[in-house]
Amino acid sequence: MASLARFSRRALRSAQTIANRHVESPQLLHTAERAFATQAPNSITASPDRVKWDYRGQRKIIPLGQWLPKVAVDAYVAPNVVLAGQVTVWDAASVWPGAVLRGDLNKITVGFCSNIQERCVLHAAWSSPTGLPAETSIERYVTVGAYSLLRSCTIEPECIIGQRSILMEGSLVETQSILEAGSVLPPGRRIPSGELWAGNPARFVRSLTHEEIVEIPKLAIAINDLSRDHYSEFLPYSTVYLEVEKFKKSLGISV
Amino acid sequence: MGTLGRAFYTVGFWIRETGQALDRLGSRLQGNYFFQEQLSRHRPLMNVFDKVPVVHRDAFVAPSASITGDVHVGHGSSIWYGCVLRGDVNNISIGSGTNIQDNTLVHVAKSNLSGKVLPTIIGDNVTVGHSAVLQGCTVEDEAFIGMGATLLDGVYIEKHAMVAAGALVRQNTRIPYGEVWGGNPARFLRKLTEDEMAFFSQSALNYSNLARAHAAENEKELDATEFEKLVRKKFARGDGEHDSVPNLSDDVLLDKSSKAS
Repeated sequence: MASLARFSRRALRSAQTIANRHVESPQLLHTAERAFATQAPNSITASPDRVKWDYRGQRKIIPLGQWLPKVAVDAYVAPNVVLAGQVTVWDAASVWPGAVLRGDLNKITVGFCSNIQERCVLHAAWSSPTGLPAETSIERYVTVGAYSLLRSCTIEPECIIGQRSILMEGSLVETQSILEAGSVLPPGRRIPSGELWAGNPARFVRSLTHEEIVEIPKLAIAINDLSRDHYSEFLPYSTVYLEVEKFKKSLGISV
Repeated sequence: MGTLGRAFYTVGFWIRETGQALDRLGSRLQGNYFFQEQLSRHRPLMNVFDKVPVVHRDAFVAPSASITGDVHVGHGSSIWYGCVLRGDVNNISIGSGTNIQDNTLVHVAKSNLSGKVLPTIIGDNVTVGHSAVLQGCTVEDEAFIGMGATLLDGVYIEKHAMVAAGALVRQNTRIPYGEVWGGNPARFLRKLTEDEMAFFSQSALNYSNLARAHAAENEKELDATEFEKLVRKKFARGDGEHDSVPNLSDDVLLDKSSKAS
């Protein structure tokens, strides 16, 4: 059985190197590096000086220098989220799983009762092409839909940003406006108050009716309610130390 | 006094034992819905049988990134938080000084409508923006892929070209030197000026430096991070937004991380 496995492994490796060499010929770049890679190591040898990440996985809060991301007491930040640098998440806000808030070049604030849904990326550039401050600030009662990308933009109170939207540097979404899903705001664009914009690049669609405007903070509050359920699933302190102890015991390491 | 200190210590232990017993009681009350925290089994670098990622020592790989299979990452490059580089059916090669920003997806094509099987090759000093999706494409040196862009199979991005944010570059498109393409489907928008092209290499360099700061922070061991938390708490002062009442300045905006980490 073992010899069969060894034989098949050798066959697979030779097949792979043949395939690699075949692919290599039309490439213009890094032929040297590619050649190096074709002699693929036949076992996982992590380079000895390569950092090995431990069982903690990815830390949620990454301080950079003297900047420490601050999360309010009743804000829900999923354990999957990465907050790095100057990030402040204010009360009743929620940041859903998979989001990355990177305040390493400039500040990021998530306002009261706002929510950043799944897999968003919030970043702030060093400087902004418009006169607006280059920090990404999301005011109160803003809903940022899933998979959105926000870079150095300012979102005034009570807005809805649709899913998969892209807001580029220096853009401003004024209060009580809605950006439809999939819209792209080029750098320095402004969405006036009380309007619905959509498209790539975002264009004016229509004005919002009064009923719709009233719904906007209600949506934020509804998502806040939902985040309470998620938040209550987590104990204030992690109990992973129990798993570590079990693990060590099973390996015979004295606890 | 010795005995008093010892008494406090013992009582403290009793209270902690009680707390642990209560935790076990509560878990049993929760019954089937009791959750058990697991150690993170996430592996930033993972092999698929004999396809092994070869990542240069200087490259920053975020712990939440997933580099799987036949991926080669050059020196000074950075793979940011939440990226997935899946070289399982073909190979991915990333040059030096390149940054693959957060939540990006780099795939390879195994089967294709046209039948060509393509590796993904990304050159030196390329900036790939947040949440981009690159599949089976070739990107030459010093190019700039805007955030949220989607590059499909067979796309070839020449040197100093730029793909605008949110663009969808369809199969087998070739984007020539020094042009900006954008939109869905991607069309030629305009030509880049010399300044803008110089900016790309500068941005790649900036990102390398930023990556080093993040790498240093992420590498820290548990002892170092806990110590720093203590230091911060000790020297923290109220921010300008809150009245600096000396004892309460910590409570107003409590650092949740110290509890949940």
